[in-house]
Amino acid sequence: MKKHGAMPGKEKVTAMDVVQKGLARRYRRERWFRRMGLAAVLASIGFLGLLFVSIIGNGWSAFTQAEVLLDIDFAAAQFDVDNLARANYGALVKKSLQKLFPGVKDRRQKRKLYRLVSSGAAFILQKMVMQDTSLIGTSRRIWLPADDEVDMLLKGYISRSVPESQRRLTDRQIGWIDRLIADGRLKKRFNTTFFTAGDSREPELAGIRGAVAGSLLTMLVTLLLSFPVGVATAVYLEEFAPRNRWTDLIEVNINNLAAVPSIVFGLLGLAFFLGVLGLPRSSPLVGGLVLTLMTLPTIIIASRASLKSVPPSIREAALGIGASKMQVIVHHVLPLAMPGMMTGTIIGMAQALGETAPLLMIGMVAFIVDVPTGLTDPATVLPVQIYLWADAPERAFVERTAAAIMVLLAFLICMNGLAVYLRRKFERRW
Amino acid sequence: MSSLFYPLILLLLASVAFGQGKRRAFAMAARKSGGRFHSRPWYHGMLVALWCLIPGLLVYILWICFADTLITRMVLHDLPREMLARSAGQKTLLINDLHNLVAGHVAARNIDPVLQRAADHYRVLQNTGRLIMAVLMLAAAVLSASLVYFRIGPDLRARNKVERIARISLLLSSTVAVLTTIGIVLSVLFESIRFFRQIPVTDFLFGLKWSPQMAMRADQVGSSGSFGAVPVLAGTFMISGIALAVAVPVGLMSAIYLSEYAGSRVRTWAKPAMEILAGVPTVVYGFFAALVVAPSIRDLGTMAGLEVSSESALAAGLVMGIMIIPFVSSLSDDVINAVPQSLRDGSYGLGATRSETIVHVVLPAALPGIVGGILLAASRAIGETMIVVMAAGLSARLTANPLEAVTTVTVQIVTLLVGDQEFDSPKTLAAFALGLLLFVVTLILNVVALHVVRRYREEYE
Amino acid sequence: MLSKDACRAIVLLAVALAVSPAAAGQGRDYISIVGSSTVYPFATTVAEQFGKTTRFKTPKIESTGSGGGMKLFCAGLGIETPDITNASRRIKKSEYATCRKNGVREITEVKIGYDGIVLANSKEAPRMNLSKRDIFLALAARVPAPDGGEKLVANPYRTWKEVDPALPDTRIEVLGPPPTSGTRDAFVELAMQGGCSTFAWIKTLKKTDKARFKGICHTIREDGAYIEAGENDNLIVQKLEANPRALGIFGFSFLDQNGDRIQGSLVDGEAPTFENIASGSYPVSRPLFFYIKDAHVGVIPGMREYVAEFTSDRAWGEDGYLADKGLIPMSAGERQRYAADAAALKPLILDDAGN
Repeated sequence: MKKHGAMPGKEKVTAMDVVQKGLARRYRRERWFRRMGLAAVLASIGFLGLLFVSIIGNGWSAFTQAEVLLDIDFAAAQFDVDNLARANYGALVKKSLQKLFPGVKDRRQKRKLYRLVSSGAAFILQKMVMQDTSLIGTSRRIWLPADDEVDMLLKGYISRSVPESQRRLTDRQIGWIDRLIADGRLKKRFNTTFFTAGDSREPELAGIRGAVAGSLLTMLVTLLLSFPVGVATAVYLEEFAPRNRWTDLIEVNINNLAAVPSIVFGLLGLAFFLGVLGLPRSSPLVGGLVLTLMTLPTIIIASRASLKSVPPSIREAALGIGASKMQVIVHHVLPLAMPGMMTGTIIGMAQALGETAPLLMIGMVAFIVDVPTGLTDPATVLPVQIYLWADAPERAFVERTAAAIMVLLAFLICMNGLAVYLRRKFERRW
Repeated sequence: MSSLFYPLILLLLASVAFGQGKRRAFAMAARKSGGRFHSRPWYHGMLVALWCLIPGLLVYILWICFADTLITRMVLHDLPREMLARSAGQKTLLINDLHNLVAGHVAARNIDPVLQRAADHYRVLQNTGRLIMAVLMLAAAVLSASLVYFRIGPDLRARNKVERIARISLLLSSTVAVLTTIGIVLSVLFESIRFFRQIPVTDFLFGLKWSPQMAMRADQVGSSGSFGAVPVLAGTFMISGIALAVAVPVGLMSAIYLSEYAGSRVRTWAKPAMEILAGVPTVVYGFFAALVVAPSIRDLGTMAGLEVSSESALAAGLVMGIMIIPFVSSLSDDVINAVPQSLRDGSYGLGATRSETIVHVVLPAALPGIVGGILLAASRAIGETMIVVMAAGLSARLTANPLEAVTTVTVQIVTLLVGDQEFDSPKTLAAFALGLLLFVVTLILNVVALHVVRRYREEYE
Repeated sequence: MLSKDACRAIVLLAVALAVSPAAAGQGRDYISIVGSSTVYPFATTVAEQFGKTTRFKTPKIESTGSGGGMKLFCAGLGIETPDITNASRRIKKSEYATCRKNGVREITEVKIGYDGIVLANSKEAPRMNLSKRDIFLALAARVPAPDGGEKLVANPYRTWKEVDPALPDTRIEVLGPPPTSGTRDAFVELAMQGGCSTFAWIKTLKKTDKARFKGICHTIREDGAYIEAGENDNLIVQKLEANPRALGIFGFSFLDQNGDRIQGSLVDGEAPTFENIASGSYPVSRPLFFYIKDAHVGVIPGMREYVAEFTSDRAWGEDGYLADKGLIPMSAGERQRYAADAAALKPLILDDAGN
């Protein structure tokens, strides 16, 4: 009887009740699943934010630079009109400093005093005179870069409280600095040098223009070669190649290339591009070629994945109305697969943009002052510059390293922005 | 960039040829002379353009490859004997001198009048050569283009021909990857063989101790090195494993959220933001791992009473995991997005919740692409260099404890290659052997992965 | 259709870009320098001065490591090979032989000064006062048994106090360069071997069984007390700051720049200061070199002038700009001799070098 009484209930169990009973659990699971996804996205973005905050915190101060206002007397007697380069520009700076601190007489102390101004000041004056000879015979007030030690003190990276023997600036030097500050002659000003100069061993004269130009040239070569070749390879393998051992081999081989350490690509570049082809060492061309080989697997794999995901029905429909295979691919499959291909390209290019190790073997990890103008000029790239600065002993290079990273990230964000725009144009859902 | 001048001219010419071919085909089709056209005018134009471009480029490439050598040889031939009767190295210096003179660079020493004359000769030859090349190139381009141009007609199977050229170029591109592999193998093979001549292969493959403390100078006997690659490989796999354990769940969940739950606005912002993670220079990650993550893990461990090394595998692995998140998330997101909406609608229609649809319908359909992304991420983790160089240290220990310091193949390769030791010592050669070993090991892994993916692949529609 | 057109244009442009520069049969008008990362900061300083004060282009300086530099340098003559290589150790006989075999017959050696190797720790910890013997006992793989006797045991010391009761009771944790590094090589040679020789019976081995002697003195322990930390010395400095218990081994210039964060340990009672290293009373320092390919002088513009700049007192003198960067200058006599040899391009003959 009990059994019988339960019958109507049981009938319900077989139909809606099971659903109803499980519904709460299923919805809970649904919410939980959704929250997990959100958490994953937030975690990634949060980490990115953390990274940015720590880099910007370290690097923003590099955009200003301590400069000293000096009265430079371009006395005509100092210059030989025929040979302007020979004039003693260092002496101009020294004379002006002496005028500011007439009390300093001792030779050693004088040297300490001169050290407050960057050794690059003389070259700046030289350039000014070479550009405008009418300066000769006049007296000007000019802002000249201070030494990196002074810069670090002004920015608070060097503590004044430690004993004199443990700082690179003596108490007397700090006294002079304080007087200059009080006179309004020593100030932090916007660091234009950082954006207009090439590399230098003096932090206050070092800039990233050379590295940015090198990165641009290298990326140009990489993009122009890797995107078409990568997409073409993917199309061939996915659409044309017969399925056999040979294509299996190519597929495995491409996956495997992605795992080859990047420095090994450098070895290949050294052996082939430099050794066999005899292309010039340290050039953006060779760098771009090596990075192309390195990014190709990424682009190919991503492109194949997105080609695979284009539904066969689209191909069949196009074939059915009489399109040739090539027409199907060019007119229908490629546009649909484009967002995925672009994603792969962005990731690959981003990786190439940040890569240091392979360039080590082909001579791009180098001290290069002149800004490259062509594909065969010796050049370095941003991540290499970062790597080299990170290894420099001078304290002031720490903030410049971080600032260079900021520039690299800006570069990256621009590149991504462009790709996002393109991807939005192409993406569709069916 | 005057070297770009000729290809640009050629390109211009080709575009003219394209326009002409297309117009001719149009005109002929309009006149209906000789029946229906097999191909559309666009293909006729394209065929003419291609036939204009290819021969022209061929001539240009030939000139680039041989002109310089040829001219130099001609000039050298005229130089006095005694200047040439030297070793090959000095000859290249002489040639450099010549090139410097031609380019008008400052040379430090007084210029030899003979050399100056040779340089002038060189310049003249170079100019004539360039002229001849330009004429030849244009002639070849115009000739072959016009041959095709006059064959334009209803029977010309222009589309098939163009498609064949396109197919050939696709095939050629796909060989680049294969050639790269061959190049890599060749460039590490010879040095590896030299290494194995000094260190037995079995010692290298099965040795459990890695300690390249070999003497750096001949009189410095004493310290002996051992080159067993097992601990180094084990370290690589441990760090990559940790990285994947971070990247796969986070990346996959992000991809699912972005493609299935998030609104399109969130998606358009979040996805590229995550992709930035892959582009942050690895040097930066390295610093972050070494200076922020590793010390905090050590402090946490000390609080919990564990002994944690300051170069723990965990720190390097975690940071590397973060770096490869976009490899999983972006690629998976694209693939999930490409799963036809009809599959989802079918599943919803049966009463499944969204998460059930995702787990039981969408993910299986997107599996091959997802696995591709994960494989790519794993590959990046194994091949990643700078993070581990900075954060993982160099001590090769065979351990399963992620809190200890381990080393990886890539770290060892970099350290051995940029060291101060003599380049031909086993220490440096070991770098090549390690590269080869890693190559072989990942190859085996990939073959296995391919078979696994094949087995579980689901074809939809 | 348009996209295909654009695609094709890009492919073509790429091909054109790829092949075009091979046409450049250009000469090289700048000096190419490779070699040690330790000499790199000094060489670049000179190169920059040289580039700014002369009409020549600034030399290109690659940081490849001494071994890699020598390999490139000795590959032969010609513009594709470097003109000068920097080294943090002397050229080896085998490298010299390779050079000669490849036609690089005349090279000139220039010693530029010294690099002090310091042991340092964070300022938060007490300053260490070590003897070479302490260093040896703390870092060698095998040490004489603590209970005396002529027996070797695997290094049993866990803390500094166990090594020497006067030292603090902290775990031995030393961050130092890997075995591929010239810094490590010099450190082992100067500090470890010095400490090792304080054991009379080991010292006698030096004459009787040299191989065993070096085996004992030169092998660094691998049980985790010595952490190979790579070549980035800034990273070591920052790791030391984060971990006050650890000691680091690196070049003097990094101590010089970070005097407010880290302190150099005394070795045999001598502090690692500029003056002490220059006078030779601080025992751990090593010479730095560069090598000139004589056949390139006069062919590559500016080489003679670059060498003259490097060997001028304004650069490597006691008050020169290199001293500012942390290079320890040689004595005046030695400087004069090397400058004269460099100016005359006196070829190196390795047999009399007594390597």
